[in-house]
Amino acid sequence: MPVGALAAISILAACSSTPAETAAPLESSKDTIVFAIKEDPTCLDPQLTSLTTSLNIGRQVVDSLVDQDPETGEIVPWLAESFETNDDLSAFTFTLRDDVTFSDGTALTAEVVKANLDSLIALGKTAPLASQFLSGYVSTDVADDLTFTVNFSAPNAPFLQGASTMTLGIVSEATTAEAADVRCTTGPIGSGSFVYDSYTPNDSVVIVKRDGYDWPSELREHTGEALVSTIEFPVITENSVRTGGLESGEFDIIQDLPYIDEARFTSDDYNLYAAANTGVPNSLIPNTTRAIVSDDAVRKAMLLGTDREEINLLTGSVSGQPATSALTSSTSGFESQADATAYDPDAAEELLDDAGWEMGSDGIREKDGTKLSVSVTAFYAQDVLEATQIQLKKIGIDLQLNMVTSGDFFGAIASGDYDFLAAGLTRSDPDALRVLLSSASAAKWGIIDDAGLESILLEQAATADTADRQALIDQAQEIIIDKAYLIPMLETTQLHASVSTVAGVTFDSASRVQLYDVRASE
Amino acid sequence: MKSAGTPPNRFVVALRYLAPKIVQFVFVIWATYTVTFLLIHLLPGDPLLAALSVKGGDATTTDPEALEVLRAQYGLDGSLWQQYWGHLVQALQGDLGTSIATGQPVGDMISRALPNTAAVAVLALVLGVLSSIVITYFAYVTRWSWVRNTLLQIPPLGVAIPAFLSGLVLVSVFAFGLDLFPSSGSRSPLSIVLPAITLALPVGAIFFQVFSAAVLEAMASPYVFTATAKGLAPRTIFLRHVLRNSLLPSITILGLLIGYLAGGTAVVETVFSRDGIGRLTVDAVLARDSNVIQGIIIVVALVYSVVNLLVDLSYGVIDPRTRAKLSGRSVARAKDEAAVEA
Repeated sequence: MPVGALAAISILAACSSTPAETAAPLESSKDTIVFAIKEDPTCLDPQLTSLTTSLNIGRQVVDSLVDQDPETGEIVPWLAESFETNDDLSAFTFTLRDDVTFSDGTALTAEVVKANLDSLIALGKTAPLASQFLSGYVSTDVADDLTFTVNFSAPNAPFLQGASTMTLGIVSEATTAEAADVRCTTGPIGSGSFVYDSYTPNDSVVIVKRDGYDWPSELREHTGEALVSTIEFPVITENSVRTGGLESGEFDIIQDLPYIDEARFTSDDYNLYAAANTGVPNSLIPNTTRAIVSDDAVRKAMLLGTDREEINLLTGSVSGQPATSALTSSTSGFESQADATAYDPDAAEELLDDAGWEMGSDGIREKDGTKLSVSVTAFYAQDVLEATQIQLKKIGIDLQLNMVTSGDFFGAIASGDYDFLAAGLTRSDPDALRVLLSSASAAKWGIIDDAGLESILLEQAATADTADRQALIDQAQEIIIDKAYLIPMLETTQLHASVSTVAGVTFDSASRVQLYDVRASE
Repeated sequence: MKSAGTPPNRFVVALRYLAPKIVQFVFVIWATYTVTFLLIHLLPGDPLLAALSVKGGDATTTDPEALEVLRAQYGLDGSLWQQYWGHLVQALQGDLGTSIATGQPVGDMISRALPNTAAVAVLALVLGVLSSIVITYFAYVTRWSWVRNTLLQIPPLGVAIPAFLSGLVLVSVFAFGLDLFPSSGSRSPLSIVLPAITLALPVGAIFFQVFSAAVLEAMASPYVFTATAKGLAPRTIFLRHVLRNSLLPSITILGLLIGYLAGGTAVVETVFSRDGIGRLTVDAVLARDSNVIQGIIIVVALVYSVVNLLVDLSYGVIDPRTRAKLSGRSVARAKDEAAVEA
């Protein structure tokens, strides 16, 4: 097959010439890049889905008002050339670039952005993630063609960050008028560097370069049109076929390299791309209305009795880091709690002894005839839970795994019927802690009763000053770990791989891929 | 059986033969539909949440009010009985509803996936049946019993090796190793070959078991003995006499194999990342996407019933004795002949 031959030649060529860091314009020697994805994207409109695979594709088709530097967390202009907020973060004023058009030829104006935000509110729970970013939305006031103000009924600190995600990416006015199902199947019309060419469900998505594109954010490596003309995304559900196809040259890039195969691809023939999911790491999330779970000593002992380094070694990516806080290390606002989360089984056992949990003959502790047995409800990462289960057994805690489907997982949340949940919450803003744990949050998973933490979580969402907000977020992480309101287990890593001739695959602040700069060298 | 006073016309004969089969046909489809409906709805858990979480991921809403609105939107409100009738009436009008998880019309999803699956299944069936006949033929004509025994022992391997494994081995060797066929998808016409071979292994093996047993039995029968005594070549005996007689039980198993193929494609389509009915079913079951599951079940039950109806009819074509039973006239004639012989 020509693809395989070409890839082999490219690898040889790469050995002889190292790309010099000159000012020469970037270009790609291949017109088409094949990027194997792990599942059907199901919905092509990034405003309406939270599926990682779908967002990875949608990011190329829609642009956002602002962009966020994944390293520093700094928000920079994109479709909006400037932006400002009022003092209590309840109004955000943006001024748009005047040269942006959508792929249907219409111009980006303040009215279009207003139509976007209004339609997202009208869609409500059909766009679950967007409605979280827009909580308290009142209106968008259009000042002139390019200037508008987004108003909220209460402070909304996470909004600006949310505006950098593809979830609040801007689509054309025509798309905002379509029904949700149509937008999902035919794909939105965006202003991005690529446009949808075709989508065959369960088979493939093809996007092609947008002619005349010239409005990337300053975080990108080049300006002008994208470097390749076509990106094909075949849906390859079988892991070994994705890895085999990368080796044989059938695919240029693959999504979700299984951690277990990582070692095979560390040679110079391949590039690995790893980024921890932002937000809350995969953790045990407590329901403190349950008697045993409400016992501070039990939760604290579980936190100390969990060896996150070993879990990362056994079940995580080589490129990943052990979880050390209530936020992942890639999230802006992350503050390491490495000391408080260090593995200390002796201290854990002491805590349990002091609290009256006596070791029983079967290796499980008990108090007043009650076994120290709790259950955890989860729908993925069974291996992580099994590793945790073995570790907790050593200190006399019986962790029962209740693996369910994703639907039953959310059913358990709806009914409140669980001891612990196990999952991560992917959000690029530290506000993820409030979404997950605040009793006032409509999307809360954890059930905890702590007035002090609650007020901090609410206050950080209303604090405009970056340093002040960071102080509150630090405090929140400290309290959550100190009281073991979350028992972090693993930072889930997005791990992709490509042949070494491919360059320019970058992650955005939400650990989703940005392919504007992607290119292949000879 | 009625005696042949006046010869009944052909239409009545055909109707008398077909009517029970058509009633059975309708019953099978209705029963499958009903049982599936009950299974989906009696399982614990909320089908709406299951389907929503496909798109919603960790942002799936659990707000009771929002869920009620969506439930009404997707026709999941009301009592079980109301839902059953609502969906059944819709289905009878040819409307299979909309997938909750993907938002696409179920009819579109199935008509998109069915040709892909049918192509693989038909090719697998043809490959499986042809190779069984060829292997059995060589086992029949060979003079050495050890060759015969070896040949007869090979096909059962096809059932013993799971399709999942044989599929991955075929991909490794013929796609990644030799680069002869694409590893996955249905973008190239050649992409059908590896999945069809994978599926042909177990399907051919099951067919082979029945077919070769029938052939071996025939080999010991008096008419073969007579033919051999007349000096006919083994090839002629096989093709002209044995093949036809051995096909009857094999055709019965063919009808049943359609059911096996429907299940087998789920594995093959996953391994080869092909769009098709099998993948669609697996995804729909995982997402508890009731409209899609119901739609697929109706279509598969239809295909299964039609094939089995055709199999029933084909008995008449292959075996004249079956045909004789059909018409009163022939029955009467057969009776007369029997009386003469007696």
